[in-house]
This record gives sequence, structure tokens and C-alpha cells, in this order.
Amino acid sequence: MDSSAPILQATNLHKRYGATTALDEVSFSLYPGEVCGLLGENGAGKSTLVKVLSGIVIPDAGEIILDRLPYHPRNILDAKAAGLSTAFQELSLIPTLSVAVNLFLPKPKVNALRLVSMRSLEEEASAILNQYGITGVSPSALIGDLPLAARQRIEIVRAMLQNPRVLLLDEPTAALSEREWLFGLVDGLIARGTSILYVTHRLDEVRRLCKRCIMLRNGKKVLEASTAGMTDDDVFSKMAGRSVVESYPVRESSINDSAPPVLEVRHISAARVNEISFAVRRGEVLGVAALEGQGQSALFKALVGLTPLKQGHLVVDGKRVVIRSPRAARVAGLVLVPEERKSEGIFNDLSTAANISIPIINQAASFDFIRGKRERRLVERGAALVDLHSRYLPPNIDALSGGNQQKAILARSLLTEPKCLLLFDPTRGVDVGTKYNIYRVIRTFVREGGAALFYSTELDELVHLCDRCIVIYRGTVVAEVSEKELSPHVLLSLAAGHASEATQSMITANSRNGTSR
Amino acid sequence: MNDILTRSLLSSRTFKPETLTALLVLLGAVLMMLAMKVLNPGFGSVQQIAAILTTSIFLVVAAYGQGLVILLGGIDLSIGVVMSIAGMMIAGLTNGSNEALTWALPVTLISCTAIGLLNGLGVAFLKIPPFIMTLANGTAFFGVALGITAGSSQRTVAPALQVLMSAQIGGIPVPIVLIGWFLVAGSVLQSRTTEGRKIYAIGSSLAAARVAGLPIEALTIAAYGVSGLCAAIAGLLLAGYSSSATLDMGDPFLMPTIAAVVIGGACVTGGRGLYFGTFAGAIFLSALSTIITVLSLSQGWRNIIQGGIIIIALILQTKQWYLLSIVNRQLPGKQSLDGVLPQNSEV
Amino acid sequence: MSQSTRGQRRPIPSSAFAALLYGIMFAIYLLYSPSAITLAGITDLLNNTIVLAIAAAGLTLVILTAELDLSSVGVIAVTNVIVATVSTKVPGGAFITLILVCLIGLLVGLINGWLVAFLGLQSLAATLGTMIACQGVALLILEAPGGEVAAFIMNRLTDTVFGFMPVAGLILLLAVAGWLLFRRTRLGIAIYAVGTDALAARLSGLNVKATKWLAFGLAGMAYGLAGYMLGAQTGTGDPRISNSFLLYVFAAVAIGGTPLGGGRGGVIGSVVGAGILTVMQKLLFAVGVAEFYTNIFNGVIMIVAILFGNLSAILSLRQKAIMSQHRDGQLVPN
Repeated sequence: MDSSAPILQATNLHKRYGATTALDEVSFSLYPGEVCGLLGENGAGKSTLVKVLSGIVIPDAGEIILDRLPYHPRNILDAKAAGLSTAFQELSLIPTLSVAVNLFLPKPKVNALRLVSMRSLEEEASAILNQYGITGVSPSALIGDLPLAARQRIEIVRAMLQNPRVLLLDEPTAALSEREWLFGLVDGLIARGTSILYVTHRLDEVRRLCKRCIMLRNGKKVLEASTAGMTDDDVFSKMAGRSVVESYPVRESSINDSAPPVLEVRHISAARVNEISFAVRRGEVLGVAALEGQGQSALFKALVGLTPLKQGHLVVDGKRVVIRSPRAARVAGLVLVPEERKSEGIFNDLSTAANISIPIINQAASFDFIRGKRERRLVERGAALVDLHSRYLPPNIDALSGGNQQKAILARSLLTEPKCLLLFDPTRGVDVGTKYNIYRVIRTFVREGGAALFYSTELDELVHLCDRCIVIYRGTVVAEVSEKELSPHVLLSLAAGHASEATQSMITANSRNGTSR
Repeated sequence: MNDILTRSLLSSRTFKPETLTALLVLLGAVLMMLAMKVLNPGFGSVQQIAAILTTSIFLVVAAYGQGLVILLGGIDLSIGVVMSIAGMMIAGLTNGSNEALTWALPVTLISCTAIGLLNGLGVAFLKIPPFIMTLANGTAFFGVALGITAGSSQRTVAPALQVLMSAQIGGIPVPIVLIGWFLVAGSVLQSRTTEGRKIYAIGSSLAAARVAGLPIEALTIAAYGVSGLCAAIAGLLLAGYSSSATLDMGDPFLMPTIAAVVIGGACVTGGRGLYFGTFAGAIFLSALSTIITVLSLSQGWRNIIQGGIIIIALILQTKQWYLLSIVNRQLPGKQSLDGVLPQNSEV
Repeated sequence: MSQSTRGQRRPIPSSAFAALLYGIMFAIYLLYSPSAITLAGITDLLNNTIVLAIAAAGLTLVILTAELDLSSVGVIAVTNVIVATVSTKVPGGAFITLILVCLIGLLVGLINGWLVAFLGLQSLAATLGTMIACQGVALLILEAPGGEVAAFIMNRLTDTVFGFMPVAGLILLLAVAGWLLFRRTRLGIAIYAVGTDALAARLSGLNVKATKWLAFGLAGMAYGLAGYMLGAQTGTGDPRISNSFLLYVFAAVAIGGTPLGGGRGGVIGSVVGAGILTVMQKLLFAVGVAEFYTNIFNGVIMIVAILFGNLSAILSLRQKAIMSQHRDGQLVPN
């Protein structure tokens, strides 16, 4: 076979959802035996492209040729039959079934009676786990009982099982703390002629593995080049449309040490939270850095009373508070901007205006009857705080882009006049312009006397936006990084569990004091 | 042009696509009666139309409570039983005279509201699925009523109620005036109060309601309580209309309350729908019921039609929301999605 | 219920709690009715249980896929009246009617499945619609309780076979055996997967819609069979629908440890649950509780059943959590 001919050729792929174009005439090629990176911000269209290639989403237009044959998969099975396998970012494993069964879904081997023999399935699974270097996982263990890193490995291995011609890896290292395991597998696959489309937003991985990379922005392909000689700034400016230096508001410290900390967390423990203590001062943005699934989500939920505290307590503005529900949290001055916007944030049957006004709708009512003018004024005040244009207020909120939806949720939170904002990955799935907006809103809020606890998966955000940053690993605070020491490298290594000497002594000092400063 | 039209439609406060559905349903009712008139020229006299509207009051009132509960994401299968209990209670307490009415009325209403509140408690605090809680509760109280009345069925009702249902104001039967008033009051309570707004929110996304700190348990209990109250009122009116009460008189109304809500365009999982739609559905079903009686169809056919209508209404609804979402997305200056599957894509 | 876990202590499945409860109830019943332990007594008990057990078994399949199905009582009404009208009029009536009711049940179930899986309708409302429509059909076939079930069906199916095995018991054993095999087929595994996480199932390559469609279809067939057995038990056809029976079917599934959210549980638990409810009813009767209290009893028991089901599910999960903590010696994230 002519090795210079592409194994996968996509031409003018187009996909619209209503008035939004998720993929805009995207064309690219993938050659045999190469690893090609797929880069782009959240919302750029990477996810949609992966879904189109995997057969989950049917494109409106465009052609794909795989292995010299036209490729029109209508489901995962079609894709697999044609030689394309995917390891999804949102893991496709079934938690209540065992490792062995999951590995061989959807068609585990059946005997003459059309029955699956668990024992032989598990034996085969055992061999496979060994072959791919996954230790410490029993084939009969239920996926739901395994830690996230193990699940991610199994997801990746499953995609490799049928020796696909083309392998799609979507953010495969999100939960892995040791990436060498994956890099080794990738090297092996390439040597055997498999092609890999490697979706990531981590540039160091792109440099390590990929000779070429493609970048999407707003659904369009904006870059297709070799990785040699690409600088970080080149990439960022192509991704964001502006150079990295400009993208963060200038940070002036507005920390007020003379007042008691707005929020003090003292030795709290909850489900997956192990004795955490820290404090957020007035005028401060305290960052939280952590890899996937280290307890950060549990921490935020516990702080607003969505889950009960097993021990410890909270102190707000110097007064001890007991928070048993998000309602009580709001009264105490703590408001959560949640992780899952679509399922925990927006009320997708209501208008944007109704979404913004809902927690304080009583303020716009007399004797329980809503006064239209009062509500409108309230909502416009909130929208102004976040720079949300008033034309977005009447329609249903699910007609808005992710960024505008997030602005609406922020507006809602600000209108409740909180003391401390708890923001969980607020810029996920948000376009770049809105991100900048959100940063400004946060800094304005703390400058005017508020405080913010800010978790993000983007290390750059943490570095540029926060005054201090705590690192969470396995449910505890393992480090506290001051402004001077903040850098993506430091945060990443701490988050992966490698404590430096300096931070080790800081941790011991903190646990002796009982609070962190 | 399309853009300007859409924008003006969307920004108008009173016009909503759900209003369109309600109007279509009313139109459907009219068309149905016209078709009937063609087949049967004797049909469609003023008295008959008046009768249709008068007898629609039971469904208009009872389906309001059902609609409120469905808006929350639940369902109330105890409505039929509560209607019967209310009827039996008022009949038993007044026993054919007006004397006891002043205290019998509140006692009946409060007792039946209490049954509804019990439903709400089970759903809100014991986390029992609504269809089971209400069905079980209804069955249990049916048993209580059976025991108390010891099976004796016919009771006579206070004359005042009978008069209410048969009187006229300015030539218009009182019940028809009442349904007009009820439509306005019900719509205002559901769509223009803070409680109503919060119920829409809870039905739209329970998780988001929790994070936003809405009083979920309190409103759930209240909604089921209101449903009990509405069923009670409907039962009283029914007893007045029939001049007597039996223990199964409310049964034929349970399924139609659900049908009315569904036909009216409300989303069965909650969060969407206007009372105007439910109202239109109630009128439609009342007309249909009369036509079925005129055609002398057996009970079997009545059930088949009822079941079929629910299913057809559900199917039409999926088309309706699809159209709505298309309309909603015609927004200028929209930015790209984050590549996640949209709501109405199937898994 | 976990798939086989060799080398690991398996947590107690929630159906075991149900079995324990059954044992206790039966023991109490025995005190009031010592003849319950004789062959005649056991046969009688099983005869009373079988209709509910088969219906609950069918419903379990749908609930495992995280959907609801209210149509059981509707299908039972239709098939019951068919048995009462057709079985005496056709040669080989018993057998032909059996095929007929299975096909009708399957058809209704597949229609339900089509409405829910392919048209995307909400399952509660859609199956409510088919239930009402089915009752209408039943009323058209037989306006009032009556008709006559072939003597063969009535006598043989309520009797014993081989001298010691009640036919009802044999049928239940076959159902349980069938379930144990079905659980290991691709469809059986798919049903659990779809009920646990439909999106992950789809990304894994499973056909979610077809799985749900077939689950509804098989459930419908079970309901048809239940209606047939009802004819065997009562000897007549009844086109009316009992709300109480509908409650009982759900109660049986809940007590048996299959949560309404789907993804966990199984048919065995539901069959045991049906047994518990039947014994309880017979117990109340034996104790002499007045007839009209049964309504109250039905309502209360349903609520208790759900709470019990929640409780055993919580206990089961808590067990697993404790076990996994001990295994890792540390907190397992997520």
C-alpha cells in the first residue's frame, strides 16, 4: 500500500445544531503510522469532530474516506467494523458491570447456547490486562469500584483491542498521573502502522507524541502544521485569537487582611473529603488545583450543604455557621456556581431572565405576585454586572451559547449578594471572549470586598487569576502555593502528588496550626 | 424578515408558543363539534353547547391540580378517589339540607387537602415515586371511606350546591361563568406568582433548583395539597350537579385530568406548560365525551379513544417541542456550541 | 446484583433480604394455618402467587432499563378475557390460546417499546395510554365478568404433576431458570447496561433503542402469560382493571430489590416479592382481618415496600462501600 496516501481523509465536514455551527467545512487527513494532535479550546468543535468520526453524530455534509473506502458510520459498531476505535473523554464504561464484561462490550463472546461464559471472559480479560501492563485490577471487579485512573486505562485499552487502523484518543491523560504508560502504548501502536488522532489541550503531550497537529477554533480548522518549531505563543494565539499575555486582566491585589477571613474552613471531612482546612480572605481569589476526581467536587458540594459534613465546621465573617442546604448556604453568604452547567446550573425550560431572577424573585414581588417591571429592573442590573446583552434576556436560556449561559448563572449568583463565590470550573465550555469577561467579573467582585474560591482545570487560569492556590490530592490539601511560586509546572507536579521539600514543610507547619494562611 | 418576526415574537410577554397549542386544541374541539353536526344535524344546539361547557367544570377544576403536580415533575393518581370522598363527605354531612353547609364545606375541603398534603409529604420526604405514593394513598383512603360509609352508596346533597350548578346569571349558566373566572385565577396563580415560578423551575431541573436553594420540599407538599383541594372542589360541584354522591363517582375523571394536561401541551416531565392549555384540553375532552355519548359508543370504545388520545397527544408534543427549539435558536450572533449533543438528540 | 466476583467477598444481593423476609412471613403464616405446609397448602399458595409473580417478572425487565410500565393490568385484562372466550370454542383450545396470549402480549409490549424507545415518549404517560386502550379492548371482547375457561386449563394448571410438584411451582422454577440463563445473554447484559447509563451504553456500541424495545416486548409477553394463568386460577374472564393489582406488581418488584431507577436487581427478587405479598394477604385473611381493610392494607403495603426496597438497596451499597474502603486501605476517589 502506498504509505504516503492518507488512511483517513475528511472533506468539508459540516454540522449545525440549530443556529450554531459546530463544525464548519472541516477537512483534514491522517496518514498511516502517525500521531496527529487535535487541539482547540473548549467549544472549538473537537468533541463534535470525535463524535462524527466515531459514528455517534451524523454530519450534515461532508465526506470521509477511511482506508480507501467511503465511510458513513451510523453507530459505534459501523465505525469498529471499518477499523476506527475511540476512547472517549466521558468514559463509556458501565459502572455496574465488571471489567471483563466492559472490555468485550457490545458483543462479548457467546457459546453455542448464545450464553456468555463469565469465567472464560475473565480469563481472556486477565490476559489482556497483563498484555497492556495494567496491574492491580481484577477482571471481575466492577468498574464503579475502581479509581478514575484505572477506569481511564481500561477505556483506552478497550479501544485498542481490535487493532484498529485509526484510533481516536480524546483527552486520554485527564485522569492519569503517570503518562509514560500511555506514551509507551502509543509508540508501540505507531510502529505497527496504526494512526492516532490525539485530542488534547496539553501542549507538552503534543510535542512529545505528535509530528503534526490540527487546531480547531469556532468549528473551523485554523491550523494544520508540523509541531517541530511551534512555540507556545504561536499555539495560544492561534487558539485564542490573541496573544496569551493579553488574555488576563491585570491583577492588583485587593486583599484586606484587617478584616477576618470571609470564609474559614476548619478540619472538615465529608464523603471523599479528608480533613481540609483553609481560609479565604476578603478581597482574595483563592485557587484550587487538582487532577480529575481528587475530591475537589466533593469539597465544593460540602461547602454549600449539598452533602453533609462528617466533622469540622465553617466560619463566615468570623461567625460559626451550620450549613445543611444550599439555601442555608445562600443565607450565610456562600453561593456555588456549579460544575455541570446543563444539569445543575440552568433551568433550561425558563427564559434567561427567569433564570437570573429565580433565587431572589421574591424581591420583585408584592404579596407573592411578580411585578414585571421590578423583575425586569432586577434582571437588567444582574445582566449589566456580567456584560450580558439585554437581547439575550427574553428567549429560552437553552438557545444561548455556553458562554452566555454561564454569564447568566454568574449574574444570578451576584444578585444574591454573596460574601464568597464558590466557582467550580466556571470557564469550561465557554468561548474565549466570555472567559475574559468572567475573569473581569471575578476580580471586580473581590475588589469590592467579596471573596472567591476558584477551581479550574486550566492551570493558566489559576496562575494568572488567583492570589494564592491550594492543591488538593486524594481528598486533602497537600500544598499551598503563594503568588510568587505560582506556575503551571509547580501546580501540575503538586497536583500529581509530587510534593517538593519546601511544600512538605509547609504542610507540616499548617497541620500544626490547624489553618492555612 | 424572519429574524425580526422571531425576535418580536420571542420578546413579547404574552405570546408564547404554548399559547398557540392551547388555541389549536380549542380549535380542534370546535372542528370536532362541527364535524359531529354534519353527521348528526340535531347535534349542536345552544343547550347542548351550554351543557358541554357546564359539565367541563369538573375537569377544568380537577385538572388544574393535576397540571400543577405534573409541572413539578410528578403525577397525582388519587384525584378520582378524592373527588368521590369530597362528594360523599358533603352529602353525608349535609344530608339533603342547607343547615350544615357552613361548617361541612370547610371540613370537607380541609380533609381532602390533607390527603393531598399527605401525598406531598410522601413524595418530598420519603422520596416515594409520585405515581406510587398517590395511587397507594388514594387506595388506602378509598378503603377508609368504604369502611366509614359501610358501603351504602346514595346520599343526597345540600340543595344549595344543586342550585349553584343549575342557576343562571344573565342567561348564562353559573358554572360557565365560574370556569371563565377559574381560568383567569388559575393562570395568574400558576404563571405570575413567585411560588408558581419556582414550581416551573423545580420541574425544569431538580438539581439546579437544589443548588439555587429553592424550597423544594415545601413547594412539593403545597402542590399536592392544591391538587387535593381542587379535586375536593370538583367533587363538591359534581355532587351538586348529580344531586347525590356515590363512592365511585370520581373514578371516570382521573384519566381525563391527565389527558387534559397532556393534550394541552404541558411537558409530562415537568417545567413547561400553561394552565390555558390544560383548560383547552378539558373543554376538548368534555366535547369528546358528549359526542361519544351521543354516538352511543360502549364503555370499551370510550376507553380505547381515551387511551389513543393520550398517546396521540404525546406524539404531537414531541413535534411541538422540536418546532419550539427551532424557533428559539434563530438568534442573531450566536456563538459555537461546546460540541455536546443537544437536548432532543436521542441516546 | 454483581456479576460473578471470584476472589472477592460478594456483597449480599438485595434479593436475599427479600428471601429472608419471605421466610419470616411464611413462618408466621404457618402458625395461623398449619395446613400450609402440606402439598395441598403449598399448591394453593403457589397458585395464588403465580399471576403476580409472572407479571412482576415481566415488569422487572422494563424497570431494569430505567423505564416504567403501567400496562401490565391492561394486558392481563385483555388476555384473560380471551382465554375465557376462546379456549372453550377451539379444538386444542388450551394450547392455541396460550400461543395467542403470548403473541398479543408481545405485540402490546412491542408497541409500548416503540412508543418509548423509538418515538421518545415518556414511559409513564405512554404506558398509561396503552393500559387504558387495552382495557377498552377487553371491554369490547367481554362486557362484564363472565365467559368460561376450558376445563383443561383450569384443572391441570392448578394441580400437581409427577405427584409432588405443583404446576405453578414448576412454572416458577422454569421462569427462574430462564432468567438465570437470560442474564447471561447479550440482551440480558445489554438491559443492565442501558439501565445503568444509557449514554455510556451507546458509546460502548450497544443499541439502546432496540434493547428497550425488546425489554418492553418480553414484558408484554409475560403479562400475557399472567393473564392466561389468571384464567386458570379463576375460571372466568374479567375485563376490569384493579388498581390494587397494579400496585402489587410494583410492590413485588420493589420489595425484591430492584430499584425503579434501573440498572440493578433481577427477576428472582421480584418473584420472591410476589410471594411475600401473597403470603401477607393470606395471613391477613387467616387472622380474620375484615374485607374492607384490604384497600387500606394495599395502599400502606405499597409504600412500605418502596421504603423497604430503598432500605435494602442502601444497605447493599453501604456494604460495598465499606468493603472497597477496606480493600484499598484509603479513600477511593469517585
